[in-house]
Parts: sequence; structure tokens; C-alpha cells
Amino acid sequence: MVATSSADVAFPEKGSAVTSILKKPSVLPGFGLTLGFTLSYLGVIVLLPLGALIAKASGLGWYGFWGAVLTPRVFAAFEVSFGLSLAAAAVNAVFGFIVAWVLVRYEFPGKRLVDALVDLPFALPTAVAGIALSALYAPNGWVGKPLNELFGLKVAFTPIGIAIALTFVGLPFVVRTVQPILQELPPEEEEAAVSLGATRGQTFWQVVFPAILPALVTGFALSFARGVGEYGSVIFIAGNMPGLTEILPLLIVIKLEQYDYAGAAAVGASMLLVSFVMLLILNILQHWMRSRHAR
Amino acid sequence: MAIQVSGITKQFGSYRALDSVDLEVRSGELLALLGPSGSGKTTLLRIMAGLESPDAGSLQLNGEEALGLKPRDRQVGFVFQHYALFRHMTVFDNVAFGLKVRPRAQRLPNAEIKRRVSELLELVQLGHFADRYPAQLSGGQRQRVALARALAIEPKVLLLDEPFGALDAKVRKELRRWLRKLHDEIHITSVFVTHDQEEALELADRVVVMSQGRIEQIGSPADVYDNPASAFVYEFLGQVNRFDCMVDGGLAHIGNGALAIPTDGDVRGAAIAYVRPHDLAVTPAVGGPGRVSGIHVVGPDARVEIELGGLFLEAEMDRERFTSLGMALGDPCSVHIDRARVFAR
Amino acid sequence: MPASSSASALSDPAWMRRLLIATALAFLALFLLLPLVAVFAEALRRGVGAYWTALVDEDALEAIKLTLIVAAIAVPANLLFGVAASWCVAKFDFYGKNLLITLIDLPFSVSPVISGLIYVLLFGLNGAIGPFLKAQGIQIIFAVPGLVLATIFVTFPFVARELIPLMQEQGTEEEEAALVLGAGGWQTFWRVTLPNIKWGLLYGVLLCNARAMGEFGAVSVVSGHIRGYTNTMPLHVEILYNEYNFVAAFAVASVLAMLALVTLVAKSTLEWRFGAELAATRHK
Repeated sequence: MVATSSADVAFPEKGSAVTSILKKPSVLPGFGLTLGFTLSYLGVIVLLPLGALIAKASGLGWYGFWGAVLTPRVFAAFEVSFGLSLAAAAVNAVFGFIVAWVLVRYEFPGKRLVDALVDLPFALPTAVAGIALSALYAPNGWVGKPLNELFGLKVAFTPIGIAIALTFVGLPFVVRTVQPILQELPPEEEEAAVSLGATRGQTFWQVVFPAILPALVTGFALSFARGVGEYGSVIFIAGNMPGLTEILPLLIVIKLEQYDYAGAAAVGASMLLVSFVMLLILNILQHWMRSRHAR
Repeated sequence: MAIQVSGITKQFGSYRALDSVDLEVRSGELLALLGPSGSGKTTLLRIMAGLESPDAGSLQLNGEEALGLKPRDRQVGFVFQHYALFRHMTVFDNVAFGLKVRPRAQRLPNAEIKRRVSELLELVQLGHFADRYPAQLSGGQRQRVALARALAIEPKVLLLDEPFGALDAKVRKELRRWLRKLHDEIHITSVFVTHDQEEALELADRVVVMSQGRIEQIGSPADVYDNPASAFVYEFLGQVNRFDCMVDGGLAHIGNGALAIPTDGDVRGAAIAYVRPHDLAVTPAVGGPGRVSGIHVVGPDARVEIELGGLFLEAEMDRERFTSLGMALGDPCSVHIDRARVFAR
Repeated sequence: MPASSSASALSDPAWMRRLLIATALAFLALFLLLPLVAVFAEALRRGVGAYWTALVDEDALEAIKLTLIVAAIAVPANLLFGVAASWCVAKFDFYGKNLLITLIDLPFSVSPVISGLIYVLLFGLNGAIGPFLKAQGIQIIFAVPGLVLATIFVTFPFVARELIPLMQEQGTEEEEAALVLGAGGWQTFWRVTLPNIKWGLLYGVLLCNARAMGEFGAVSVVSGHIRGYTNTMPLHVEILYNEYNFVAAFAVASVLAMLALVTLVAKSTLEWRFGAELAATRHK
């Protein structure tokens, strides 16, 4: 048919292999070129190396894999990494929400500065944060010293120190996910509640909180995910004692230094697996919440 | 330049946007593609411009097969519904764009470009806005810039996609009149898409009424209004009263003999009868058979709803005429209809 | 409508406002301000002289140089990727698009150590293609190429994630208009698309660069910590700290901290001045 073949010139990509995946032909050029480049880049940078991980981990075989993972040391590291990340994410959920609330609803001098500062953990290199926190909370540090002398509380080289470092790295996530939602919340709903006789507290818990809950859970999930994988901010303050204050990423590094590539791959793969499952659960939870509170 | 569309078909997945459409656009005419959303009119326009490609059919611009040509080679000017002005360029740079991107061999000297752009801006009455940015202009002004930009490349055909759709009613009316005047001056073959039948009837030399990917009727505005080819066209253009009826002996019997209206044409049996509200004459009549069930005075017009033998009719007339009739809600009245258009059911 | 302009019927009582503001500020001061101040305080503990000596130390200068080199390669490469990826994702509709977007987000959900691990498994001595490359005389792990690759992996999403929502929001009409007016593909990109995305691009590059210069975990795994050769600034900080050379460690760290502050200032300025032009979906 004359039409379809000569139209190929006007629609440069029509008919070629690449564009068979296009849902409809477009007059804009460059699809093949940009997609090809993107896929090649991703292939080399992401897929190939990940493939090496999967290959190495599965090279152990079923028993070899679980043998490498189900050891007391790895278990303990899982507990430390996942457990403390959860705790840190919880702290961030509470205080991050307060920070977001204060930034959106109140005015105070220096608010803009504070707002910009919240992004510090995103911008500051993890090693810098790591040594700073370690110095602060060491027994002779600015915070560590009074805590030790007044309460006998040791922070550095204990799980508490790890939790503090994880709180630092996860802090912006909750604030930044809750902030825009809080900002966009129409005052009309609260006004309606108040006009119907609700107290401020009731209005908050029954009108405002359910609206921001999905964002809060998202922020919690992001903070948690970040904490599980965190390395630089934690290893300085952690103490790194196997079974007590050894995080999963450190365990991987140790195995690599011992040339136990397979073991490192196994721990890494299992880490990814567990994280994936937990985030999937959180995603489903979010989805369920969104559908209930659809606006 | 004349445009010849033959057998154009376009499908989006399982949705058929155009079904073997044939159309001839005469050189120098202002043609309207009129229809509701989903009728395929915008798709047809974009195929003419080269922004979409059809699944089948042929398109000829001035006698030459055009489907293989890229948009830039077709010499068409396209005006988008939402203007698509380049937001980071001034009005001047927007209009000059088509002239500046020409290959070196065909590019005009800068002084000449400047002259042309200034001329065009004067033509669209935006001469003093050359250094403004699109964000600083009103909707009507932006549309005029879009038009000037399309005209700058001296296209052989001008295609406009719902050009006034995004504007207020008053601005829309002004720009309509202005576009008609412009066309009368430059005589460039123009096709515009609209869903507003008043706009099509007021502006176009010919109107193409489309529905569900097919052309229902092509004709002058008077033609399609007075002699609609199908029930769809009749209903789409202007207000209607619509009744199920039985045609027998040159009369359309509506309701249970509540109304009998003379018809023409050779439709018999079960049919649909259409009457324009303007063709319905209402007079006060003690004893009915009708009763005024609603009165709406809208500016210079009056719309009167009448209940008659179980049927609901709507009549439209001048406010003055209505006032002179002196009718009120609930008054008995009688109705006179000269003629009904009838289509088979 | 911003909630902060709500009527007095919705305002919280003053005591609550003060309490919440105090709590928030205390929390932020403890977790953010204190560590930041500590970096500079520790760096200057022995005076400006010791601070300066630490910075102009030969190994420190090598570390600074290496950090700059790695960033100078990784950031432009990721810029190119970001533009290409967002062009095909934002302007076209195709099968597998969602998978592609998920893939682009991947580095954000992976631990930095794993980001480094995968390169060791590929290019290391016991790795998949490591021995082959070694035979050709190409060294990736424990050498600069490894650092660059690991850095690229960790930072490539930044530009793409910034541009994709932005370009999606801007649509394709302006490009279509340009094509009808006679512009070619590249002309359309340079004259129409690029000016529209320039602030989003700058923002993405800013974030990409900050992360590239500050990356620790991934780079640590692939570097081998060879002083003066495969040490970037963050790695050098670690070495100094582990040797109890605290002043030097914090001195180098303070340079990184200053970079972070500059990034924050630039970021806030861009957000404030061009917030409307940056993607609305930035904070995910």
C-alpha cells in the first residue's frame, strides 16, 4: 500500500525493530538513538555487574547459599542492620513529622535556613558524618562525655550509637515526603470539622493525620531502606563487634577482604532479597491506605 | 493549494479514529471540520500536517502525494489548541523561529527576517509586544502570536486545531471575526477544527460534519443547517425538538395524535421527527391543547417550555414577541408547526 | 492554598506552637547542627597552622585531585545519560517504560557497599571478567577506572530523575510545533527542549556532583585504599581517622563539609528562584 511505505520517511522510526515497542509512532525523532544509548549504558553499568552478583551467589548452589547466609554472625548482622534501621526510622517518623509540621504551619525567624538545613544528610558525605558523629558521642566527646558522666550512658561503639547515625542519614526522608502533602492539605476540611464542633485534637487525629499517613509511611520506608544499606556514617561510631555492633554492609566488606567473594555475594544477595520483600509489603500497605483514603 | 484526502483510515489500538475518509479541500477556502470529541477531526488535521501517519489511504497536497513528506517539507502552518509557544523565547523570536531554522542555503538575511516578523506582528496587531514573553500575554494575544508564527514560513495551507477553544466567550467571538477578516485578506487555504457549531457556521466557507471517524455531510453553512443529510447532523447543529413518530399520508403523527405535522421526503412508517424551536409558533388559547410549563428569559431570547398531550416541546422566540403574547406559567396555549424534518428510525 | 495562611479558627494555641517549634529545633540542632559544627571545631583544634598543613599534605592533595578527576568523568557521563534517558522516557510511549524507570531508580535502593561489591565481582581477581582484563593489562578494581565506574553507578539516577517528570510535564507540543515550522531533530532539541529544561538540568547536575565527590561506601570497596593512588577525599578521611590523626582527618572532612554547604545553598537558591520550573514530583 503506497501510504504505509512512503509514510516511513516522514516517520523515521516506523517499521524498524526498535520502534516495534513504541505504542504509537511519533513524529519526534531520536527514539532509537536515545533508547539504544540508555539501554547500553544501563546494561554495562547496572545489569552486567548485577548479573555477576546473581551468578556468584547462585554459583554456590542452594545449600551453599543458605550455608553462607544462615550463620550466627550473619543473623546477628541482619538483626543489627534491620532492627536498628527500624528503630531509627521510627524516631524519624515522629520527629520528622514534627519538623515538617513546624516548617509548614508556623512562622519563626530563620525558618528558611532551617528548611535548607534539613537536606544536610543528603549533601554531606557519609564519611564526614561518620567521623563527626563518632567524635561527638565518644566517651570524651561533646555529647558523649556528659551522657557518660551524668547517666553512665555509653553511646559510641554501642547499638545506640548506630541508631543515632541511622537517624541522621534517614532524617530528611520523612520531612521531605510529608512536607508537600501537608502543604497541599486544603484548610476547608479542617474548617468543616471545626464548624461541626470538633476540638483541635479531634480534627488533627481524624482529619489531618489520616491524610498524611501514606506520606509518613513512605518516608518511614525510605528512611528504613537507607538505614539498612548505610555504611560510611555508621562504621566509625559502631565499634564493629561481630554479633553486637556489626552491620551487614561491613560484613560484606570483611568477606571481600578475605577474598570470600562467594560469601560476600551470598550476604549481599540475601540483603537485597529481604529489603525487596519488606519494601514490597510497605508498598502494598501504602496502596491499601491510599485506596481507602482516596481524595 | 488544494488538499485531496482519499480513503484515510487511522486506528489507535482497538479504537477507530478515522474510517476511510474522503475529502477535497478547495484552494483558498476556509473549511471547518466540525464534530463532537472522538469524531476524528483533530486526527485528520494532524495527519494533514504530518504529525500523525494514517494506517491506510492517501493524501495529496497540490496534486502530489504527501504522506511520505516530513512536516517540515509539507509547507503547512499549524496552530495548536494550547498555542505551543516556545516559552523561553520572546514573541519576536517565536515568530522568527521558522525562518531562522531554515538550512543556510535557503535562509533569509537577518534584516529581511526582522522586516517580515515586524510586518506579521503588525498584521496580528501585536507590534508593541515583540519583546514580551508568552507568560506575559493573555490567551487571545498568545493565539495571535501562534498564528503569526505559523504564517511566517509562508505556508501553502493553514491548519488550526480548535484555535479558540481555550479562550473566554467574548475573546472567542472577537477572534473569530478577526480570523475571517484575515482570511479574506490573505486567501490562504485554511482548515480549522472545532466542536462549536456556531463557530463553524459563522466562519467557514464550507463545513464538514464528522462523527465517529466518518464524514456525515459536507456543504455550505446554510446547506448543512437547512438540509441536514442525517439525524446526527440535524441534532448537532442548533437546538432541536425531537420526537418518535409514525409517518402516514404526508403527516408525522406524534404522541397519540397529539400532534400531526406535515413532512416532505419519502420516509414512511416509524421515524424520528425534528423541529427547531424557532419554527414552533406559540399562541395563547383558552382550552389548550397545550400548557406553558416553563419560561426562561435569556438575554434577548425567550424560551418557552410547553406540555402538550404528554409531550414536552421547547419553543424559542424574541423576548419582545414573547412579552407581547402576555403568557404566564400554567397558561393554556396552542402550538403551530409548519414543517418537521423526518429521518428513518 | 498553603495551609500556613489558615484562619485563626485553625491556629494552634501559642504554648503548643512554642513547644513544637522548640522540639523540632532541638532535634535538628542535635542531629544536624552539632555534627556540622563538630567537623570544623575538631579541624581547628590545633589552630589554623595545623589545619593548613594537613590540607597541603601530599597525600591529601592527591586525594583532592583524584576526587575531582572522578567527578569530572562521572558527572558529564551521567548528564549525557540523564538527557538521553529522559528524552526517550518523557517524549515517547513504549512497552517496558515502567521497567526502565524502575531500573533507573535502582541505585537508590541498593546499599553503597553492594554497589561496589558488584563491580568487584565483575572485575575483581576472582571476578567474572577480571582475570581476562588483567591478562590484557587492564586494571579496573583497585585502580581509578573502578572508582569511576562505582561512582557512575551510584550517581547516574540524579539527572534522569530530575528531568523525567519535568519533561513529562512540559509535553511534546513545543517540539511538534518546531518540527512543523521546519526545524530538524537536533535543532529542535537545542533551541526548544534544552532551554526549557536548563534549570532542572543544573539542579540534577548539582546533586549528582555532590554525591559523586562524597561517595564513600561504594568507592571504598573497589579502591583498595592505595594511598596517593586510589584514595579519594572521603577514603583519605577514613585512613587518617583510623590512624588517630584526628586533626588531619577533620581538616580534609571540613573541605567536604564546605562543599556540602555550597551545594545546599545552590540547591536552595535554585528551588526558590525556579521552583515552578523544577519538577513538582521532586520529593519522592
